[in-house]
Order: sequence, then structure tokens, then C-alpha cells
Amino acid sequence: MLKVAIVGCGKIADAHASQIQRLKGCEIVGVYDREPLMAKQFYERFSVKRYFDDLTGLLSDARPDVVHVTTPPQSHFAIARFCLERGCHVYVEKPFTVDEAEAQSLVELATERRLKLTVGHDDQFSHVARRMRALVQSGYLGGPPVHMESHYCYDLGRDGYARTLLADRRHWVRNLPGKLLHNVISHGLARIAEFLTSDSPQVIAYGFVSPFLKRLNEDAIVDELRVIIAEEERTTAYFTFSSQMRPSIHQFRVYGPKGGLSLDQDHETLIRLRAGRFKSYLEKFVPPVILAEQHLENLLRNVKTFLARDFQMKSGMKYLIEAFYRSIIEDGPVPIPYREILLTARMMDAIFAQLATTRPIVDAESPA
Amino acid sequence: MDNKDFIVGPDDPILVTGASGFIGPRVVEALLHRGFRNLRCFVRPSSRPSRIEALNAYGRDGARIDLVEGDLLCPEDCTRASKDVMVVFHLAAGTGEASFPDAFMNSVVTTRNLLDACLQHRCLSRFVNISSFAVYTNIRAPRWRLLDESCPIEGRPELRGDAYCFAKVKQEQILTDYGKRLGIPYVIVRPGSVYGPGHDGIPGRVGINTFGVFLHLGGFNTIPFTYVNNCAEAIVLAGLKKGVDGEAFNVVDDDLPSSRRFLRLYKENVRRFTSIYVPHAVSYALCYLWEKYSSRSQGQLPPVFNRRRWHSQWKKTRYSNEKVKARLGWTPQVPTAEGLRRYFQSCVDMGRHA
Repeated sequence: MLKVAIVGCGKIADAHASQIQRLKGCEIVGVYDREPLMAKQFYERFSVKRYFDDLTGLLSDARPDVVHVTTPPQSHFAIARFCLERGCHVYVEKPFTVDEAEAQSLVELATERRLKLTVGHDDQFSHVARRMRALVQSGYLGGPPVHMESHYCYDLGRDGYARTLLADRRHWVRNLPGKLLHNVISHGLARIAEFLTSDSPQVIAYGFVSPFLKRLNEDAIVDELRVIIAEEERTTAYFTFSSQMRPSIHQFRVYGPKGGLSLDQDHETLIRLRAGRFKSYLEKFVPPVILAEQHLENLLRNVKTFLARDFQMKSGMKYLIEAFYRSIIEDGPVPIPYREILLTARMMDAIFAQLATTRPIVDAESPA
Repeated sequence: MDNKDFIVGPDDPILVTGASGFIGPRVVEALLHRGFRNLRCFVRPSSRPSRIEALNAYGRDGARIDLVEGDLLCPEDCTRASKDVMVVFHLAAGTGEASFPDAFMNSVVTTRNLLDACLQHRCLSRFVNISSFAVYTNIRAPRWRLLDESCPIEGRPELRGDAYCFAKVKQEQILTDYGKRLGIPYVIVRPGSVYGPGHDGIPGRVGINTFGVFLHLGGFNTIPFTYVNNCAEAIVLAGLKKGVDGEAFNVVDDDLPSSRRFLRLYKENVRRFTSIYVPHAVSYALCYLWEKYSSRSQGQLPPVFNRRRWHSQWKKTRYSNEKVKARLGWTPQVPTAEGLRRYFQSCVDMGRHA
């Protein structure tokens, strides 16, 4: 039985506990939050074994095999390092760390101690994302990706989040180097990182404060971001983050030399984009039928998954946790290669370094 | 009521948290109306500027209104806000819309911080905690039972699927614990469904719009309305009246309308829309099925509809305001008919709809 602990009892910890409790062969042996009341409420709602008001006590008394770190990002590095030093495998919520240096340090420590690490990029393990990965691995693209487009939007009007963040000058999101972007964009960038082969792609970022935020007297939080990513004149990618565009999409497209794939995270649909063309006017009539057929196929697949009771909103998280635990038990490869974690952190560093300058567009390899 | 019946004098400092919310400004107004002129209003930095301006305006008549901006999650802010304060009206709370942890943090952790701060200053005469009817369980009660202050509190609030209920039950628990262990003098006020200008929407006890069409679930149930000014008056009396420490008071108005009548009036006065009446037996069965499926599918559907919630919100229940009238001398100043008229007019003026 794998013993699991959770550090940080906020909203995302609820999702972790719900998914862990769906898995066989593991149990949550303890939770910790620096606010004891938060740890206690979590303990009461999820019937975990114990709650703690200090991290050392959690690790020494509950003796977990694996720790999930679900605290604000600024504390990820210190907590993960502390857990690794005490022999625990660690699952860190996104963003993995504040910067690449911290990420590198954790990866080195985990490797040295023969422990496992992963990051909460659970969107990459949703049903549809796994289907896309399988198609890419089967050679559907016809070669390495030529170009990718990742859209990751965030509706600031949701849950009054904007008002809270904007008004609270002490909000922890404001203290991150990339502020709002830092807390959100890693999901969308990680999708690109998965298919890059170079460790140091060129990153060109352009970001600005939307007119919506400016009207609310906010000039520090960048909520519109466009990024071009390129590796050695081989594969390129566009990344878009927007708080204002509608619909507020979460989509990923990847194009190879012989075909492309279009993934819609919100609708859980995957569309195969064919390379060939039909003759003359048939090109106007046949492809819409093929696309309609694919959408119908997606619908039926989603209904089937729902009826099979495997369509939870966080089903990707369940899969990722399960794969991570399996890698621990079998001492196999981790579900997210460390290279991808570091590459995502590196691209984020490059983006925030460029946004920190006054110039809107700067070469990533020579940030001012 | 004579002010000699009160535990504090007109110049003693009084703190109102959530002062820029829905009920808060009316509490401030009611305190001023009773001659209290040393008020401290705790507001979040995210409070709407128009509401801050409205609070400031109260100070122009010679009363002292100190606006304290801060976050109740910050102990230093709580210490600053409660310095020398003799009565705390604690209205600030999480709405429960975001998540369980969010509701808990903004209702329970904040309350604990405020109580700790009051203990430091050692001058508190009363802590008035604003709770809710959501804390009551109704699960073993017969239909048409009379809900009053003696009714049991939800024992397993985490099973209601309602973050607000969970947070409010835990908030009451921590308050009573501080009362017993540390001698904090407190009163709990549990308003029913507070309505009035500035608060749009139709109460969940009437029905829900979750599925794109309004499902009328209340039927002939009585809706435990209390008009916002009436509620504020009861809160003020609960904070001032001598001899009620450790008590809880339910606040509902007289002449309560049925759900069906309220919905009809709303449609006549605010806007017309399609609603589907769901008989109680059907709504109960649907809640039961939802609860079972949610459990069986390991949360594929969130457990927001369940039998506990049905019993609490949609079961036929009667409501009593005898205790608040008898012990606090409260009477609803705004009759329900007038309250509804003002509310509907406000909905029309604001151009908002349920």
C-alpha cells in the first residue's frame, strides 16, 4: 500500500484527494497546512488518517512514500526539496517551481536520491490528450511536428477572480515573476514542450495589459500574451494566452508533414486534419462530411466514457497520479520526462524575462 | 427600546465586518439611527467604491465612521480593526461559490483570527456572529415541522455538498468553542433568506436555474424571507441587548409568502420567464438518484444535489420568529408586501434578472 501525504489544503488539494481516493493500492496517511484549521477541515471531509500542523511531523510520523505539494508556487521548491531530502517521492502542482534554476535543482536532487518527481500538468493526460499522443506516436503526422499552436485562455470574469486579484495587492499571484501568467500558462506551454526536441528553443514573447484590466486601473498584470517558439529552423510553435478573447478556448494543434491533429480540451474532441485534397469542387463538399463524421465519433466516445463513469472533470489528474505511482512502485519511467519539466520552466523564464523589459519584443536568447 | 437596555453606550467603539456587503451598510445605518456614533467599518480592498462612498457618507452627520481596509485572513489586520472595540458585528463571510476550502477559509479562519484579536484586547462585550438557516438539518424532521432555534444543527455538513453550509456550521462551532473555553461573550444570528434592493436573484429555496430552465421546486412551501433592513435591525439588537449572551436567534419576517406566490409576483413585477414546477416527490427522487449516481460514479457528477439538501431547502417547513421578538423586542419594520415591492422595483431598476 503506497502511503500518500498532501501538503497544502486549498482548492486544488480537494481535486488531488478525490482522485487519489479513486485509486486502489494507496491511502492518504496525512495532510499538512500551515493553517491548522485548513488541515483539520480537509481531514474531516476526506476521512484521511491524520492531519498535522508541521511538515516535519507529517513526514516523520505519517512516513509517506509520496507527497503531493499543493501550496502556492513560491513554496514549491522548499517543500519539495525538504520532502526529497527525507526520502519521499514528490508530485508538485503546476507551476513546478518559480524558475528553471529551482526546477533543475529539484530534478538533480531527485535523481541523486533515486526518487521520482512529477508536475501537475494533468491536462496532458485527459482522455483526448492521450488519444492524441497515441496517434502522434503511431506516426500519424508523418514525421516530426512542423508547427504547433497552443491556445490557453483564462476568463478573468469567472468567480470574481479578477476583482479579488486586482484589489488585493498582497495576493500571492502578484509576487510571482510572471504574476497571473506564471500561475496559468504552464499547461499550454507543456503541450508544446512535449513535442520539441531541442533543449533551448528560441522564444519571442509579446505581452500587454488588456484594455479590460486597464479600465480597472491595473497596469502590472499582463493578461495578454503571444509567443513564438522556434527550434533551429525545424519545428515552430505559437502560444497564445488571452483573458479577453472569446470563446475562452483551450486548444492545441499540431501539424506534421503528412497530417495534423486538433485537440479541444473543453469539448474533449480530437480532429484529424487530413493532408490530401479532393478534386475540384469535391474539396468543398467531402471534407465537411468527414469532419462531421469525426465530431460524431467524438460525441459517441464522450458519451461512452461518461456511461463508463470515467469522465470526471479531473480524469487526467487521476491518470497522471496513477502513472506516477506506477513509476514509483515499478521503478519505471516517470509519466512526464524531466526534460519536459525543465523545458517548460526554461520557456517560462524566457517569456517573463522579456516581459520584464520595456521593449515589447526581444530575442529570447539575449534578454535585456 | 431604551438605550439603557444596551450593553454599550453611544460612544463605545463598535466594529462591523463585511460593512460594504449586502447587509453591512444597513447594520451601520441601524446603529447610527440608534445613536451609536463611534463605528469602525472593516472592508476588503476589493469592495466596490460606490459602497465605500456610501459608508463614508454616513459620517457626515457628526458620527465617527472609521473605514478599516484589510483582510481578515491577516491577523495583524484583525488586531488593528478590533482595537478597543466593545461589540463586533461579524458579517463578513465566504459565499461558498468557489470551493469548500475557499468558503471555510473566508468564514472560519477569518472568524478565528478576529476572535484571537478580540482576546488580545480584552475589552470585548459581545461578538455577534451572522450565521444562516443553512446550518439546520431537517433530515429526520416531519413535514411542516416548526423550525426554531431548538432544532438540531447539521451533524455532517460535509455531506450536504454545500460549501456555504459546511463553512457556516464550522464557523458556529469555533465561536461556541471560544465562548466555552475562553469566555468570549457571543450571540449567533441566523437569518433566513435575506432579500432587498441590491440583491438580485431568486432564492434557491424557490427553485434553481442550473440546467438552463428554471425549475420551481418550492411549490407551496413557505420561504423564510427577511427583508434586509429588518434583518439588520435584528442583528443590531442582538449585539446590544443585555442578557442574551450565548443565545442564537432565527430571523424571519411575518406574513411569509409561499414559493409559488413569490414566483408569480416576481414574474408579474420583474420579468416573465418559463418555469417548470417539479413536485416534491419528483424533486426528492431526483436528488436521491443524483446522490447515488454521484457516489457510484466517484464524483463524475458533483454531489450538489442530495437528500440532505432536499430536506434542508425544499421540504415543507414552518418558521418561527417568536424568540427574536420575545428576547430582543424585534419587530419587522418593513412588512413583507412592502419589502417585496421595493425588491421587485430594485430588480427592474438595476436591469438585473434572476
